[in-house]
Amino acid sequence: MSPFAWRPRPMSEKNLVELVIGVTLLLFLAVFPVFGVGYWVSFVLTQTFLIGIAAASLVFLTAYGGMVSLAQTALYGISAFALGNMVTKGAVKGLHLGLDPWLAVVLAIAITTAIGLVFGAVASRSAGIYFLMITLTYAVIAFTFFGQVTQVSGFSGIAGIADRTPALVGDPVTQPNRLYYIALVTALVVYFAIRHVVRTPFGISLQGVRDDPVRMGSLGYNVALHRTLAFTFAAFIASLAGVLYGWWNGVIAPDNVGLGATVDLLIVAVIGGLGRVEGAWLGAFAFVVINNYVRDVSVPVLGGSFNTVIGLIFLAIVIVSPSGLMGLWDRLWDAAGYREGSGPRAAAAAGTAGPQA
Amino acid sequence: MRRAVSAFDWRLLVRRLPVGVAVGTTVFALVWVLFWAPSTNFGPAIHSPANFLITLLNGLTLAALMFIVASGFSLIFGLMRVVNMAHGSFLLLGGYIAYEVQQSMTNGGGLTVFSSQVNAWDWLVPAIVAAAAIGGIGLVTQQVFLRWNMGQDLRQALITIAISVIIADQVVAHFPLESSIEKGSAVNTSWPGAIDRLVNLHIAGVQYSVARLTMLGLGVAVGIALWLWLYRTKTGMVIRAGVDDRQMTSALGVNIQVTFAIAFVVGASLAALGGAVFTSYAGVNPTTDGQWLLNSLVVVIVGGLGSIFGTVAGALLYALVYNFSISYLPTTGGDCCGQYSPVLTFVLLALVLAFRPQGLFGRPA
Amino acid sequence: MGRLRGRRWRILLPFAAMAIVAAAIAASSLAAHSASVIRLAIMSDCKGAFGGAYELDIGGAEAALAQYAHGKPVSSKKPSAGMTGITIGGHPVKIVGYGCGNDTVPVAISETKRLMEQLKADIMIGPLSGDEAVTIAHYAQKHPTKTFIIGTAGSQDPTLQIAPKNMFRYHGDGAQWNAGTGILAYKKLGWRKAAIIMDDYSFGWTSAAGLIADFCGAGGKIVKRVFPPLNTTDYAPYVQQLPAPSKVDGYFWVVGGTGTGPSLKAYESAYGKVDPKKFVGNLFFFFQSGFADVAPRLIGAYYGGFGNAPGLKTAGAKQYEATMKKWFGPAGFNVTDSFVYNYFNAAHALVIGLTKSGGALGASLNASLPRSIKAGYQVSNGGQVKLDSNRQAIADQYPQQIVKGPDGKPAAKIVGYVPGVDQSFGGFFKKTSPPPGRSQPPCVKHKFPWAGHIKAVQNGVITKKTIG
Repeated sequence: MSPFAWRPRPMSEKNLVELVIGVTLLLFLAVFPVFGVGYWVSFVLTQTFLIGIAAASLVFLTAYGGMVSLAQTALYGISAFALGNMVTKGAVKGLHLGLDPWLAVVLAIAITTAIGLVFGAVASRSAGIYFLMITLTYAVIAFTFFGQVTQVSGFSGIAGIADRTPALVGDPVTQPNRLYYIALVTALVVYFAIRHVVRTPFGISLQGVRDDPVRMGSLGYNVALHRTLAFTFAAFIASLAGVLYGWWNGVIAPDNVGLGATVDLLIVAVIGGLGRVEGAWLGAFAFVVINNYVRDVSVPVLGGSFNTVIGLIFLAIVIVSPSGLMGLWDRLWDAAGYREGSGPRAAAAAGTAGPQA
Repeated sequence: MRRAVSAFDWRLLVRRLPVGVAVGTTVFALVWVLFWAPSTNFGPAIHSPANFLITLLNGLTLAALMFIVASGFSLIFGLMRVVNMAHGSFLLLGGYIAYEVQQSMTNGGGLTVFSSQVNAWDWLVPAIVAAAAIGGIGLVTQQVFLRWNMGQDLRQALITIAISVIIADQVVAHFPLESSIEKGSAVNTSWPGAIDRLVNLHIAGVQYSVARLTMLGLGVAVGIALWLWLYRTKTGMVIRAGVDDRQMTSALGVNIQVTFAIAFVVGASLAALGGAVFTSYAGVNPTTDGQWLLNSLVVVIVGGLGSIFGTVAGALLYALVYNFSISYLPTTGGDCCGQYSPVLTFVLLALVLAFRPQGLFGRPA
Repeated sequence: MGRLRGRRWRILLPFAAMAIVAAAIAASSLAAHSASVIRLAIMSDCKGAFGGAYELDIGGAEAALAQYAHGKPVSSKKPSAGMTGITIGGHPVKIVGYGCGNDTVPVAISETKRLMEQLKADIMIGPLSGDEAVTIAHYAQKHPTKTFIIGTAGSQDPTLQIAPKNMFRYHGDGAQWNAGTGILAYKKLGWRKAAIIMDDYSFGWTSAAGLIADFCGAGGKIVKRVFPPLNTTDYAPYVQQLPAPSKVDGYFWVVGGTGTGPSLKAYESAYGKVDPKKFVGNLFFFFQSGFADVAPRLIGAYYGGFGNAPGLKTAGAKQYEATMKKWFGPAGFNVTDSFVYNYFNAAHALVIGLTKSGGALGASLNASLPRSIKAGYQVSNGGQVKLDSNRQAIADQYPQQIVKGPDGKPAAKIVGYVPGVDQSFGGFFKKTSPPPGRSQPPCVKHKFPWAGHIKAVQNGVITKKTIG
């Protein structure tokens, strides 16, 4: 049977409940643009979907590959920069090649996935903290590269990406609903793709590599290859987020891939829950909302600005519930008297205990 | 028979390839810098020995400063497996505290003081106070936030990230304390007047800054002190044992928690000491924490975590590559190539990691 | 689903959470806002390299609104506490939000979206910095019904290369701010050969362009250009590339923000104490961190201003400074600082424009915004700053010198008056010419419109004596 074939799984009660919640939410989101405020559609929710996709790539690698990667922001940035350089025309920064929008999208995704393959191959021999470090290096390389090499960007970034969108996407400024639905559909596709991949033989053996690479190696599995392919898949997912971001924002700048942005994505994944893929979007939503609504805040006694507030919230979440909001849901479920013995959650709990140093 | 021999040779080649590449690159770089260096700012060392010497000394002195800061990070990671992402914020806060102490000792009124007004005491006391203060904060951090979740590496890294965000924001909100200066301004301290001058080295007519040489001396002194502590005292022995095998050390009845606390305090104090030195060397500003966290990470990754020799090697490699790439990359017009030295530095780092993921002197994970 | 025994009702909590969130969203979206209120947003930086200018920017804008539009500050110590009662031409104006940027592009755009789309501002005064303005100029092009009046951003692109019809700037760009300073170096300091070190990004290049154009235009030669990247930890290798002090007459030092101090310290490590007569800089020698970090070491050095004129003894200047002190004196900031001055003029222009358009927004407002405005430090044209065809200001500039003030602290003294500097430098910078960069502009001899018309300023009085 093909290593990527789908196998049916029996559904537990919890899965059923989550399915109901998920479908309800999906229906709500599908009709939201009809009655919802434009700002929520175009700013909060679309951004949630696309940040969630980038975070999902991180969660996938962490939960199922045991690899905490700080390079996802860099990959998503590379995709947006590639799109920007290829699609823009006229007097803007960058290469402005002026290619056909769909072609540029395909090339951007292809380039990013290829770079992900190379990064993954180089990093595949590292594990745990060393893997974290080398992916951080990738992030810094991307930032310095796009900042210094003015032919492809420079610190002001590349603007005008949203002026050259494919006809299906339209103009995100005047037709935000189109991008909303495209982002929603892409997020769903990514979600189901991840869920499918982790249940294929490849995915199962990846989880084995996560749990005990030595044993898997001795059983004849190519550990480095599994890690490389997982990283490439995550790069592919991140590249989708990058393309969506380019359309949504219209501008991509080196600060989108800097240390701050890298840490932000990690914060998103942690708030949501590093153990479960759904956490990516939950974390993205919480992050976008908090970031938006606490901007005008100044802390009463300590002084300081919203950064202190965000830092405190993050600290509280990590201390109280290291598995983030999804972890809270799981604990709620346990407290409600159900028991969950095996499956992705237990494995994910082992995953969040930290990489094997 | 012949086939077996050629298969063996191929694998040997692959195994030796990283070493070969490293040796080849080093030889090429040496030849470039010493003899060739076309279209560069200064030309090769044989034509311009003074610039070569200055670049070399700049690299060594910067390496000394990086060693001071990164050694703290390496100590904390090596023993406790904690990636202390708040290391840069400790440095930042230490730098601002050193500035405030020197200001109050010299009545600076918030403005830059001249080194003629500063004597050795006016420099040492701020550094000591900063190191002690941050050591205290490090102790509190470790006891409150990191003691109860040992073993959960990712969680601890995330906690230290949150703490770094909070500390950095608080520093920008409150420092400089002088009310007539904007909060979050860049500030600097002064070296003592006695060392803030140039000295003639009598080699190729080079005049070099005594302050930078002092920094080099300080780095060496810290290195020796650390070595003596780790290799000649009982606490140091426990720390080295803990780095090698934490569980066994604890099982042998050693109070590992006290050792952890000590190591974290020393690590944080080293960050603050580095901050005090850096504030005299260049000055501190709200972006310093991010820069120095990155510098520490690079040094420690390249050198290898948990080993003093590794940190020395990493600091030397990073600082020398940084200085030499800026001075000796070709400058053929406005857009090439000196601007790419930051990229080059990090690409080299990635290559080191590609071939030796545990760093030059680190132990495999 | 099994029966909800015991504590199993807790699984309904997520549904409850979702319902609450949905209700909150609905509530926030239904929050009524009167259609006739004009909504204004002020965009500044509260973090990053220029975070300290937050209150200054907002204070400048609010002082103009208080003086000309009946606004009442909530707190005269803290401008960001808000303002009430603003009425222009009978229409109430509400400040709906203060943007908090950090000198980077992503935050600039997200704050702009928050202000213009969530809080539904019609008009933005801001931003503060160059790269932010470039990205907001692109945003402005896509949102033609909103109006944008730049705060203090010094990049050239927003009004030369991009130039959207709904974006206005009532002050000079980074190159304009340095106009005349290069000529000063040539004529007054006698420099003939100089080296220049500049931050390797758009503001560094733009600021340097002003110095290079003037200095080379007068006949000077730039023998070396060095560009340290932003966020450099150690400037020593870049300083090493500069020629030694014995080989050049002086250095143009265009390293800014948080890098001015470290780069000068690196210079001192290499060559000993700085000689202020050999250093000419830009606004970072004195403003922001420069005041405490750098200025004490450079007493006597000249620097290009910021469009401001501290100590200018004209009626316009006195009136402006008195107005600022009247409304925000207790806040204690330096009213001659251009962060304050530029935002003040932007808000003043807005009041004039809205009054003329009768409260109409969009294209009517854009047409009604004044093409010339009385600005405190402007002397030529009867004290009027004029806008060119790209809605960019043509303004007087004042090269300054750092001196020791009466209290021993560094103070700024105007040394020159450069009349009517336009963005194109008299046609030298064109829309089609390559933007300022690492090798642009080239060092060529060129007579600028103000060459030969720069007047010396003594004790705040513009004399008839010509400097160069």
